[in-house]
Amino acid sequence: MPLYSYAYNLIAENIELFRFFYSMLIAFICLIVVIKTDRLFRISFHQGIRYFRNAFFFYGIAFILRYSLAYGSYFFLIKPFFQFFMIMAGFFLLYSLLWKKFETSKGSKSSFFNPIIFVFCMITLIIIFLDYLWVSYYFMFFSQILLFGLASIISCKNYKQNGKKHKFLKLYFIIMILSFFAWVFNFIFGSFFNWRLRWLANVYALNIIVFLVFLYGVIKLTKKQN
Amino acid sequence: MAKKRERLDIIKDIIYSIRENRNIKPTRLLYSSNLSPQMFKDYINELITKGFITLDVDKKEKKTFSLTQKGNNFLEEYRIIERFVENFGL
Repeated sequence: MPLYSYAYNLIAENIELFRFFYSMLIAFICLIVVIKTDRLFRISFHQGIRYFRNAFFFYGIAFILRYSLAYGSYFFLIKPFFQFFMIMAGFFLLYSLLWKKFETSKGSKSSFFNPIIFVFCMITLIIIFLDYLWVSYYFMFFSQILLFGLASIISCKNYKQNGKKHKFLKLYFIIMILSFFAWVFNFIFGSFFNWRLRWLANVYALNIIVFLVFLYGVIKLTKKQN
Repeated sequence: MAKKRERLDIIKDIIYSIRENRNIKPTRLLYSSNLSPQMFKDYINELITKGFITLDVDKKEKKTFSLTQKGNNFLEEYRIIERFVENFGL
């Protein structure tokens, strides 16, 4: 039996267990990223690190809530919160690449006192409301595809400018492209294939790769060098 | 045109000056930091609050700045922070 079919059958037979480990693995990766970057932020008060850290904090919560979504009885209660944390995480990640164009390096006491973050919050609430009206995830998918499309362009520009000097910029660009495709596939499989596991397993695999590469980068770059 | 120094670079420059000169006088530190007096005051207050530097006053009321262990550690951490920010394009 080919390895892919074997892996698929194994997942299909233990789907609940797989979903649990998938969500917890990503939540755990996010926790490590948050702890590592929070230490850097507290020393430097660097706004880019702050938004990067916030993105992973929000992703961590979103993936824990995502697991809870599988249980139907609380679905409508949990879905808006899941969407809020997932969409805001995307905004934070994009803004960590853009913040220098909009604010000074001094920053504010809390991210939520920042007018741009407030605008992101408002956009997120509108997206959640529209998805609620349409009983779908379409608006969330479109927003994330747009966000990661933009993030891919910015990270490509960063890679072209400084890629020779800073090697991780290349990997960062690749993971932004992978994230972009993960959201595109999520949209396609959710809309046209009724979330069929055979297809969705590819998105799960792509997400795990993306978060593992982020973890690799964070651990490698925060390691003390002698 | 020279690139504008970022906040983190300014902090690094101030701490570095104090470490190199040991018990540096405020006026000399102001000149070496290349900041306006108001900005210098803001940065110094922040560094004292964070516990990176201390302001010492001797019997003749002469003021000097000195570096704490936390400030010394910052210089080591600065390289990690700089590398992290540059590699993630933040």
